[in-house]
Amino acid sequence: MERYATLPVENGVLGAIRQFLAGLLEKKLVDALLVPLELPTGENVVPTIVSRPEQVQRANPLAPVLPVNAARLVSRVTLVSSSPERLGVVLRSCELRALVELVKLKQASLDKLLLIGIDCFGTYSVNDYEKSVKESASSTEDFLNRAREGKEDPLLRKACQICEYPVPMGADLTIGLLGVDLAKGILLVAGTPEGEKVIEEMGLEEAKAGERQPAVEKLTAERARKREEVLKQVQEEVKGLDKMMATLATCINCHNCKTACPLCYCKECFFDSPVFEFEAEKYLGWAKRKGALRMPNDTLLFHLTRLNHMVVACVGCGLCTEACPNDVPVFDIFRLVGYEVQKVFDYVPGRSLDEELPLTTFREEELPNIGV
Amino acid sequence: MAKSEAVLVIGAGVAGIKASLDLAEAGYTVYLCERKPSIGGAVVQMDRWFPDNHCSLCQMLPTLNRDLSSQFCLRRGLVHPGVELLFNTEVTGLQGEAGDFRAELSTRSTGVDASLCIGCGLCTEACPVEVESQFDEGLGRKKAIDVPNPYASPRRYAIDWEKCTRCGECVGKCPTQAIQLEPKESTMQLQVGAIILSTGFEEFDPRMATQYGYRRYPNVITSIELERILSPGGPSGGELVRSSDGKTPASIAFLQCIGSRDRGRDYCSSACCMFAVKEAALIRKTWPDTDVHIFFMDLRTFGKGYYRYYEHARDELGVHFTRCRVPVVKEDPQTHNIMLTVAADGGLPVRRQFEMAVLSVGQTPAPEFGELCQVLGVETNRWGFCQTRPFSLTETSQDGIYVCGSAAGPKDITDTVVEAGAAAGEATRWLSSPPARPAAEKPAETPSEEEAPQVVVFLCGCGDEIASALDLESVAGYIGQLPGMVHVEQVPYLCSDEALEAVAKGAKEHKGNRLVLGGCGLCVNKYINDKFATEAGLMPEKIRVVNLREDVVWVHRDQPDAALAKTRSLLNMAIEDARQQDYPPVSLTAVTPGALVIGGGIAGMTAALSIARHDIEVHLVEKSPELGGNLKDLYSTLESGDTRPLLKDTLEQVSSNSNIHLHLESEVVATSGYAGDFRVSIKKKDDTTDVLEVGAVIVATGGDEYRPEEYLYGQSQKVLTQRELEKRLASGEIDPSGLSSVVMIQCVGSREKDRPYCSRVCCSEAIKNALKLKEVNPGIEVAVLHRDVMSYGFKEQYYTLAREKGVQFIRYGLDSKPEVKEEGERLITELIEPVLGGKLVLEPDLVVLSTGIIPNDNPALAGILEVETDEDGFFREAEEKFRSTDFLREGIYVCGLAQSPRGIEETIAQAQAAAGRAVSLLTSKHLKAGRMVSEVVQRLCRKCEMCITVCPYDARARDEETNEIVVREALCQGCGACVVACPSGAAKMRGFRDKQVFSLIDAVFQ
Repeated sequence: MERYATLPVENGVLGAIRQFLAGLLEKKLVDALLVPLELPTGENVVPTIVSRPEQVQRANPLAPVLPVNAARLVSRVTLVSSSPERLGVVLRSCELRALVELVKLKQASLDKLLLIGIDCFGTYSVNDYEKSVKESASSTEDFLNRAREGKEDPLLRKACQICEYPVPMGADLTIGLLGVDLAKGILLVAGTPEGEKVIEEMGLEEAKAGERQPAVEKLTAERARKREEVLKQVQEEVKGLDKMMATLATCINCHNCKTACPLCYCKECFFDSPVFEFEAEKYLGWAKRKGALRMPNDTLLFHLTRLNHMVVACVGCGLCTEACPNDVPVFDIFRLVGYEVQKVFDYVPGRSLDEELPLTTFREEELPNIGV
Repeated sequence: MAKSEAVLVIGAGVAGIKASLDLAEAGYTVYLCERKPSIGGAVVQMDRWFPDNHCSLCQMLPTLNRDLSSQFCLRRGLVHPGVELLFNTEVTGLQGEAGDFRAELSTRSTGVDASLCIGCGLCTEACPVEVESQFDEGLGRKKAIDVPNPYASPRRYAIDWEKCTRCGECVGKCPTQAIQLEPKESTMQLQVGAIILSTGFEEFDPRMATQYGYRRYPNVITSIELERILSPGGPSGGELVRSSDGKTPASIAFLQCIGSRDRGRDYCSSACCMFAVKEAALIRKTWPDTDVHIFFMDLRTFGKGYYRYYEHARDELGVHFTRCRVPVVKEDPQTHNIMLTVAADGGLPVRRQFEMAVLSVGQTPAPEFGELCQVLGVETNRWGFCQTRPFSLTETSQDGIYVCGSAAGPKDITDTVVEAGAAAGEATRWLSSPPARPAAEKPAETPSEEEAPQVVVFLCGCGDEIASALDLESVAGYIGQLPGMVHVEQVPYLCSDEALEAVAKGAKEHKGNRLVLGGCGLCVNKYINDKFATEAGLMPEKIRVVNLREDVVWVHRDQPDAALAKTRSLLNMAIEDARQQDYPPVSLTAVTPGALVIGGGIAGMTAALSIARHDIEVHLVEKSPELGGNLKDLYSTLESGDTRPLLKDTLEQVSSNSNIHLHLESEVVATSGYAGDFRVSIKKKDDTTDVLEVGAVIVATGGDEYRPEEYLYGQSQKVLTQRELEKRLASGEIDPSGLSSVVMIQCVGSREKDRPYCSRVCCSEAIKNALKLKEVNPGIEVAVLHRDVMSYGFKEQYYTLAREKGVQFIRYGLDSKPEVKEEGERLITELIEPVLGGKLVLEPDLVVLSTGIIPNDNPALAGILEVETDEDGFFREAEEKFRSTDFLREGIYVCGLAQSPRGIEETIAQAQAAAGRAVSLLTSKHLKAGRMVSEVVQRLCRKCEMCITVCPYDARARDEETNEIVVREALCQGCGACVVACPSGAAKMRGFRDKQVFSLIDAVFQ
């Protein structure tokens, strides 16, 4: 059962969150926090491991921007060995879901982690966010107000526009912004005994869920509707080999999408390996045989392979598209295929640690339509 | 005592193959003799088996030291250095005694010299004599000289001596003079320590029961004929058609119990019900427009998973089941449709029309079987099957001679395979210890990594067969200039002995370290299996065979350009493939001798004794304070009689055996390690823990009796279970002479929604106790309320006997269960009588509930052992039919009620089989890895452990010290699941590394 408490908002929403996070450190409920901090210039936010409470005053987990999926960073920290001290990690839904997938893949450990999720209204591209910061001193608050009014925000990344998981799943604590009168306070949701313990230790005032559930459902439904609309369009755009090739035409094989992907976890990409280094005669031989060889070659194979490896676990954060220098809509393809494939296995990446990876399970009566 | 380490196995059907392989794996020398010219018996005529509707014959192939054995389909053949196959051979005499038999064998030539035959088939083409194909059950045609088993490889031609007219047409056509028109007999003598009789059954010939119209009505066929019809390799290419007009029948009727359960054969053939259900299910899946009806008396779905499969066929696939006596069969002469007169329960006989009828024919002993038994001096029973001793399914009346499978009575594949394992295990009593294993050492490994590949190619002309259709000169010229080539040579017949020598010589002369052969299907056997590799100093993996005859010439006989292009492509690929092959020396894994047996019931004790006999230390762990398990509460069985001496003997043997260490009131709490090297933690009574190091583990934890809540059990003193009745009869607490009426209710807690399985033993128990009541008090009224009487096999005779003695068997349905009420002192049982449909009220003195068998808390132990349990909570074996005593996790075996409900005799057999498997592992000093195993590229490995999760064989693990993922090569079966799962390309398969595969693909398209 979830339990709720109120974070007082005398110093504004951001102020309340900062105060809460600082409190965690001060009360030694965590020894460090991984949280997005505003750059001193204010232009952007970057995930930072903070150990001193005063540093938290620059924390801004609400800034509508996602320069990196922090699941990747949690993996970086806990891959070799799990965290020796209590580490609070502040994550958006897509980050938390990616983290759960990485834990299943033994690429991260949740030991001693306090998972703090945040209701997410979506994010801008890094450039759009920078612009918004320049335009307004209170860009984060402005964004929050616009989003809570339910206005369509054309600057939202496509991934966020069609994300049907605005609320983190499986967090110890969630900073609840949906269905809450932010003038009166933020709703802190404890989803686990760990989270409840924090509420008790911090001496926070217990609260009721109020209008949260209907608000979540409404937003989820809107996003799902939008998803149907967008995916239908994407399907048209990439249908068939020709359209797919056209979609990938400007790929330069830089593999940035692979680097941005929170789940692409190989040490060395197969496509960066010597297996893909060929003698000149091979290239000319292929060209001879087929009449023409598009260069750089292997772009289609690269994306298909990555699709094959990652699509069941794809959380749809969309950072692949953000990372592409040539605006290849990598996310569109992954989201479309991911949606269909995940449906087949009734698998929602990041939903639960107890759900086994489809690749590692075998059911005799699975996929009866495939094969004989 | 034992003077020989050799065994003679008679009959190379599934039982003979299994027994031979088990013994050969354990290092013994096996002579496997077979009357026919190829192996497989009845199973090779079948394509698919329930419950998964696939073929899984290959599951019998060895999984340890696996490169010693052939690893291809057993229908094609079996190659193992420990098994000598003697085809067309029969046993004609036997002297000596157990441990030192001298067997006389006689071999009749097939007319085709196998060492000369090139398998070209010209003889068959020339032969003018058409005969019915026995393999296709007479449905297809073949010639008097032909391949008796079309799957066998090499294709073994043989003359049908009875049908051959000696016209000699074939002799002239044979390019290698391999044919001799008169049969020749040759004899030999073998010295063996033990003999296993696995001659199988003969299907009942329905011509002997003329009422079914078999062979008079074209659309009446047998179930085995149907099996051939459904086979893609069968007479109609897998199309379901009927004989009269070649059309797909819109309706099919299966008639059960043809040649079983009748006056002449008062036994149940055990396998036919499920055989029919399987065929019906397959038909409904593939031809959903065909209506399928099964007409049966009792549906005997007593084995593991059978009832579930039957329910699936009935409810999901829409197979219709009608309970009735065997219908009367007539034919409509116009349409050739079959008219059945069916007298189902509670109704008048009804005439129904079907487009095809299938007779589910039973099993009978082969006509020659009696003679063989006489030669061997073993007793047969009243139906001519081999007689076994009490409590044993495999011991014949002669010491040292064992029987398994249908030779000892009709049975299905699963039980046959278990018995074969038991017979193999028991036969070792009389054998001297085999030489150390692994026996056949491969040639010294050449340090190939440093050595540049040098390819030698030999091209076979196959007389004129290949040479006339393919420009071999041009082929030789083309491949001669490919990279790595050192020599190309053409020979007339690659399969001739001269060529064999020439190839070995040529390879040595030109310092070839890779060999590519352009020949035919025979080359694979000759050059890879016939130890040629050893002679030429090449490992089989470095030899590649391109089948120029079947794949090129026979396909493109009139297209020389296409033939040439394809030849180039195939050879190019084979040469590149051979060039890329490099293998490190195979690894050996040490085996810790010593076994752990979990569970001290009859299964565990039997297994412990079987293992201890091989001078292996056995730890027998039992959680209760005493041994004996369920057997303590049983007093007799239908077929073997009093169980008390069995329990007493076994307990004495266990306690006096110095190799057996008892751990009472102890439980297994943790395991680590792998096959050959387990560490098992045992928690003792005093809560201290012992760690045992063993090479193998046997799970024999038994099962429990279902404790009923229904039928007033626990409320009325007059309602008890069969076990309680048995106990009170034995103790005299209940005196039948004081009773006038007893009602027994079957399937209490079995074959229901929560437990959709048959408990297998309860019908026998009921019959046994009913007979006992009748024996003491013939006037007692006994009514057995049942759903199907599962008196399979020879248990049927007791069912008959019980009815003769006046025991009433009254059927009830799942939806109309009997009711038991207490009215004052009176106990009232009511049910709907199915034949008349009226309510039947009985007022018995006792109601006896036949409660089923339920699993123990197996999932908990399964978790500790890292093995699986099934839907019903019993342990899940590696494979239902062919590996029912193994787990997929190597080195752990299962037997008895832990695996599924079964009787005492069957439990003992399964325990012996499981022990045999364990002994085979434990007596090998080392396990030799296969050459084609997976490997880890540590540089790329992210340790996500997906490979460990997906590996079915426990062959991958994280090394505790280095923290790296490692491959336990001896356990790896080379299936490649890890390679598929690993996204990082860190899991590789030897022989199939990326570069190897890519260069192959490039080569074929060059």
